[in-house]
Amino acid sequence: MPTMAETLRLLQFGDSAFPVGAFSFSNGLEMAVQHGIVHDRSSLQDFVRTVTRLAATGDGVAVLAGHRAAAVGDLDQVRRADEAVHLRKINEEMRTMSVRMGRKLADASNRIIGESLLKKRASETDNPVPVTYPVALGVLFAELGIHEEGAFAAHQYGAASMVLSAAIRLLRVDHFDAQSILFAVNEQVAADYQEVAGAGLDDMQGFAPHLDILAGAHQHTHVRMFMS
Amino acid sequence: MTSSLDLVPELAPYQDQPAQLPAAANGKVGVLRLGFERRGDRTVLSDLYRQSPLLVQRALYWDEEMPGLPCVMILTTSGGVLQGDRLQMDVDLGAGAQAHLVTQAATKIQEMDANYGTQQQSITLADDAYLEFLPEPVIPFRHSRFVSHTLVRLAETATLLYAEVLQPGRKYYRDGEIFAYDLFSSQVRAERPDGRGLFVEKFVISPGRFPVARIGMMDRFHVFGNVMLLTDAGRAARVYERTAPPVWDEETPLATAVSRLPNEAGLVFKVLGQETEPVRAAVRAFCTAAREEVTGCTFPPTFSWR
Repeated sequence: MPTMAETLRLLQFGDSAFPVGAFSFSNGLEMAVQHGIVHDRSSLQDFVRTVTRLAATGDGVAVLAGHRAAAVGDLDQVRRADEAVHLRKINEEMRTMSVRMGRKLADASNRIIGESLLKKRASETDNPVPVTYPVALGVLFAELGIHEEGAFAAHQYGAASMVLSAAIRLLRVDHFDAQSILFAVNEQVAADYQEVAGAGLDDMQGFAPHLDILAGAHQHTHVRMFMS
Repeated sequence: MTSSLDLVPELAPYQDQPAQLPAAANGKVGVLRLGFERRGDRTVLSDLYRQSPLLVQRALYWDEEMPGLPCVMILTTSGGVLQGDRLQMDVDLGAGAQAHLVTQAATKIQEMDANYGTQQQSITLADDAYLEFLPEPVIPFRHSRFVSHTLVRLAETATLLYAEVLQPGRKYYRDGEIFAYDLFSSQVRAERPDGRGLFVEKFVISPGRFPVARIGMMDRFHVFGNVMLLTDAGRAARVYERTAPPVWDEETPLATAVSRLPNEAGLVFKVLGQETEPVRAAVRAFCTAAREEVTGCTFPPTFSWR
């Protein structure tokens, strides 16, 4: 059992209101709503599940890599994980999101917990590879003493809650609908973890041409609430 | 002969041997090595090694817009990819060389009941080289398993235009075969000659484990076109300018969008459609813009029999 202190840290740093700027992204939902692809509770749940599945097989692997590298204090490996994530952000909007949220998480961590491996990584000035969100999250949670399952779960929760909080502003769904969907997709997190726990950085993958096209189209819309 | 490709985790469930020729046996390891060199105002196929089931005969110069461009058609002697096949293709373009690579017919990944097929491609482009690699669509049949790894190494002044079209299966065969394959896994990694990474795209599709006919993945679409244009930032910007407006056509239906790759590697253009022809037309339009901006020449009209 995690101690009460660990549970509280998990709640605090995994909170959807934690200031990493998640509220400015919809992870493709804004465009999906605009095209009528997501229009009700059931299509929203399908969309969220696609997002969490991609989060698990892609960035989720990087969360674990960041966590494992930080657990043994291996800054080189943290850097390699960041590079692996950045190379795989084929989609421009997702790339921006990953880098912005990574930087914000590193800033927040510096302000709240001070010295850490994440601070060291973020203050490297000669390294062209940006800090990415999933790796930063893994590193931070390792530094906080939270086990990797906890870090992975917080990442998956964050991916789902980002879309759902955007959904409340974009669709006719209420907070209870959103929480029910969150509850349902969270049931898949443990199975997704089992599937990717043995994967390495080279195994990170994601197949989402439909989301990629929505993101590509989103960049060209003139009026938009969200950055993705 | 085990390669790193045989060890990828997605192939773990398929390590059994075919009842026919064993995997990677004689006749199942296709090899193709193509080397191109610039000679005056044309490029020649200066190095050719092939081993069945892959086959290339000779370079032809059929492109009237680019008369110095060698066009090479890749054939297979076995009617597609069979279980236990291990294909390897290395393409090398010297400084200033240009080439156009196509396949003779769609790549049919045949039904499988044991093992899998793999394909390893390496593409190396020297300064100012220009390669168009525009194979016919890939059709993964029921229960087929296929893994492909492509490594692209290119100089900053070189250009690669690489277009793939993936069909859902034999859509009009019997009752329709849509996403009935076991595994289609594809990875493309691009880097500079010094090994500096540009981007990696990897997807593993196993419809039996996680359905792809869903929002965010294939949605209601069946055919997926994926085009990569790796070229310098100036040329990429000009192509982006011409191709950036996204298409969302509910009638056809067809959806397309272009995005800038990381590390100023170039552009990626994605297309989704219900049928192959509209997807091919969109891919062709993008490729035309790319060729025009990179070489100053356009594409000749397509062959009426293709």
